[in-house]
Amino acid sequence: MGSLRFEGREVAFTDGDTIASALFRAGVRTFSRSMKYHRRRALYCGTGDCPNCLLTVDGTPAVHACQAPCADGMEVRRPHGWPSTERDLLHVTDSLHRLMPVGFYYKTFIRPRFAWETAEKVIRRATGLGALPPTTAAERSVVRHVRTDVLVVGAGAAGLEAARDAAAAGERVIVCDESPIGAAIAPGAALDRVRALEAEVRAMPEVTVLDGHTALGIYEGLEVPLVADRELVRVHPKRVVVAAGAAEIHPVFPGNDLPGVWLGRGAARMAGVHGVRPGDVAVVVAGTEEGLAHLETLQASGVRIAAVAVPTSLAGRVPEGSGEVVVDGAVYEARGGKTLSSVVLRRGTEGKRFDCDLLVLSLGLAPRDGLARMALPGEAVELVGDAAGPDATPPNGHDGTVCLCEDVSLHDLRQAWDEGYRNAEILKRYTTTTMGPCQGAMCGRALSCFARDRGGTAPAETTPALFAAAARTTSRPPARPVTLESLAAAVHELIDKRTSLHDVHLAAGARVDRSGGWIRPFTYGDWREEYRAVRERVSVMDVGTLGKFTIGGADAATLVDRMFPCRTDDLAPGRTRYVLSLDEAGYVMDDGLLCAVADGTFYLTSTSGGAVRTDARLRDLADRMSLDVHVLDRTAQWGAINVAGPHARDLLERLTGDAVDAGSVLYPGFADVTVAGVPCRAVRTGFVGELAFELHHPRSRGPELWEALIREGAAWDLLPHGLDALELLRLEKGHVYLGQDTMPDDTPAKLGMSWAVSMDKEWFLGKRALERLTELPATRKLVGLEFDGAPADVADVRGAPLLVGGQMVGRVTSAEPSIALDRSIGLGWVRASDAGFPSALDVAGHGGARAHVVATPFYDPSGERLRG
Amino acid sequence: MAELRAVSPSVVAILASAAACDRVAAPSGAIVCRVAPPEVLLVGEVDVSDVHVDEPGAIVEDVTDGWTAFELAGDDAADAFSRLSELELPEEGFVQGEVARIGAKLIVEPGRLMILVPAMLGAFIEERIRIDCAEVLA
Repeated sequence: MGSLRFEGREVAFTDGDTIASALFRAGVRTFSRSMKYHRRRALYCGTGDCPNCLLTVDGTPAVHACQAPCADGMEVRRPHGWPSTERDLLHVTDSLHRLMPVGFYYKTFIRPRFAWETAEKVIRRATGLGALPPTTAAERSVVRHVRTDVLVVGAGAAGLEAARDAAAAGERVIVCDESPIGAAIAPGAALDRVRALEAEVRAMPEVTVLDGHTALGIYEGLEVPLVADRELVRVHPKRVVVAAGAAEIHPVFPGNDLPGVWLGRGAARMAGVHGVRPGDVAVVVAGTEEGLAHLETLQASGVRIAAVAVPTSLAGRVPEGSGEVVVDGAVYEARGGKTLSSVVLRRGTEGKRFDCDLLVLSLGLAPRDGLARMALPGEAVELVGDAAGPDATPPNGHDGTVCLCEDVSLHDLRQAWDEGYRNAEILKRYTTTTMGPCQGAMCGRALSCFARDRGGTAPAETTPALFAAAARTTSRPPARPVTLESLAAAVHELIDKRTSLHDVHLAAGARVDRSGGWIRPFTYGDWREEYRAVRERVSVMDVGTLGKFTIGGADAATLVDRMFPCRTDDLAPGRTRYVLSLDEAGYVMDDGLLCAVADGTFYLTSTSGGAVRTDARLRDLADRMSLDVHVLDRTAQWGAINVAGPHARDLLERLTGDAVDAGSVLYPGFADVTVAGVPCRAVRTGFVGELAFELHHPRSRGPELWEALIREGAAWDLLPHGLDALELLRLEKGHVYLGQDTMPDDTPAKLGMSWAVSMDKEWFLGKRALERLTELPATRKLVGLEFDGAPADVADVRGAPLLVGGQMVGRVTSAEPSIALDRSIGLGWVRASDAGFPSALDVAGHGGARAHVVATPFYDPSGERLRG
Repeated sequence: MAELRAVSPSVVAILASAAACDRVAAPSGAIVCRVAPPEVLLVGEVDVSDVHVDEPGAIVEDVTDGWTAFELAGDDAADAFSRLSELELPEEGFVQGEVARIGAKLIVEPGRLMILVPAMLGAFIEERIRIDCAEVLA
């Protein structure tokens, strides 16, 4: 007992109620509106197969109300209709069929182009299954991988028997069902049988029962993901038994989607399980014995039966008091407005109308074989029980709704056929039949029947047994609607890398954030003071994020010579060289420093974000060229601290007994030294434009090295600096940030870095492409910029278009107010016109700001300061 | 329940020809992990000065600093691991693959499992293990 909230009002429910039964008991008859024509849709299948009862429950859209149990206080609402589902003005589209023929969305919204943006918004508001909650954080789901011998999908009698038999044969078994076992079965012999089997399998140690777990699909492997509340179980079975049962057939005739038209199981469950009469006066069409059972259930609940249509074989078994019995009769049409008002039954050419508010259809079963049809031929997937049963789909009527999800009628299919779409697969794509939430559970067979009757597809006999329903469209996951948060199970967090100094930065009050896959300090408080420490005194920065590699082996020199476009054969031990890394197309992929080590190996650094790719590219090139090379990725093993500023050498001299003078640690060059007792490779760098030593060291020794530098650096008021200060420091030197200042198709020439390429080398990766590209005129290049009239916070200019005569010719990629130069500077790319490259540009959207193309570096162009 | 604890094995990398790697023998207390045809990791009680590879140009180096290791043990260790990876573990031995979306090396011994990941991802994976396996971790 309890109550839920339905669109602002309290609705009481009783034990065992589903959301649908509680709402139906409370008088709700319209559960949704059809997608295109906004026709009223009411409870229909009662088995979770059709889309009619998809409601938004506690913010989650597309929940099958006929399957979901009630919970106290849950918020339920219908997703469709304007202004409301009950009084939906968009229902006017139901009288505009001629304006909205099949495929109209492919034909109608082409011109004028500008109207599409408006049309798209209107269409989105008018359709769909609800909106994702924009402010609700996703619940965190976990994933489990489970291996088993047998997975049985479906815990009805057939599934439980299959599980029992497999376990008895010594196999490990998982049996899953989307609902609690037996929940969808009306009390009686069938439920008793299931309860007995359930007790039997639960007692078997080889069997694991996962009820409340929905199978989403069968993937190559085999793998079957099962989704449950806050859990995704990825089952890896040796074989799969699909015992998903069968849905009742969805017959096609005019008016078949009117409220009051039910499939037999849905109506019987409402009457027999939930004790709510689905109508007062019924016409029952019973093509099977199950249909007669439903008839009795309805009678027992007090429904008056106006007429029953049965085949000759069942005519003698129609119970007393069932109204007029129409032997071999069929539904010709259902009539009504807001709800069903009458049904016309026809035998041969004779028709008769019966007034009623309930039409119950029980015409046979359509096996739920969608999961099995996802399997590849030869995979160990079998169907059992009703899921393996014969297909009893009757011929379509003369009109009616085929696809309840996508609002496709038989008339639409005929029109599509006449337009030339003459195969079930392309009819599906053109009309979207079977592409809605039910994934063809209702309409798939009607579509197949249509195509087969028209002679468009192969007959059943020509297809393998597993795919016995011929001309069926391809079955694909997900078999049931699934939330994105379930699909994202266990991948909620970004993978964050941390240097060994992470805790030290936090203790120092650093503001840290993600950059290049790492968590890095952006500032320790005042980035301008950090900048001044670098320019005027001394500073340290954690650059342990850089990619770091040792390249050894007999062909190490050959590999680096072919990998990089500059000369490397003249690199003496102890010297370093800036290297670009190109791909086969001559585009810049990464950059770094190459150090020649005395033992014949090379030490290479790459950008922080490019380390993984650099490792892969080195190994790939070595493999392709069959080189005897060993690549040791030291990125995780070694940390690095950049000591930069006019007093950088003074600081090191306090902490080392090794020589670090300009003649001992050359620029550009490196030396292995011991600093504060920590073995370091001191690499001279110029990225910030000051005297600088990158101290590459064993990761575990990072904190003690950092602390020693901070302690001794206090003599010069040392401050550590983060990425905020680095942004300006490197920009003043005109150094590019790959990815920020570059485009995916940038060549060295476009970046103004042809000096890093030796075209006289016999071969290097990308050389052939560069040779061809040099024959083409230069159309775009990265340039230095100075700004006039830019806003005080010139960083806002980053990303702004650059204009000449109102035409966009480029874009700002970096911009900062320079502290050293007292003017605003930046980098950006510009396109050439017939008049050549522009020298003055307007900055779009920044109140008359102008940019002038200038040479770089902006700061210390001669490089005296960094040579120290 | 399962137990998670940080462990500190030594790790020595050997980069040499496949033939030379074939000849690498595990020192007492260490396990040979063949991570690639021309690459071996020795994990456990191993001193790099005791490892010799008779091949010019081969790289033999202590790379302990590059790895962070955890040990999963206890009755539910396999259940805990199933929440982190789809790898099928052997009864005993070395495998490698993704654990919590990170490339990892795994050494399986009776009753326990050692997970090695690159050191910069140690904090990330420990957090993931503690969250994803909370139900079965002691």
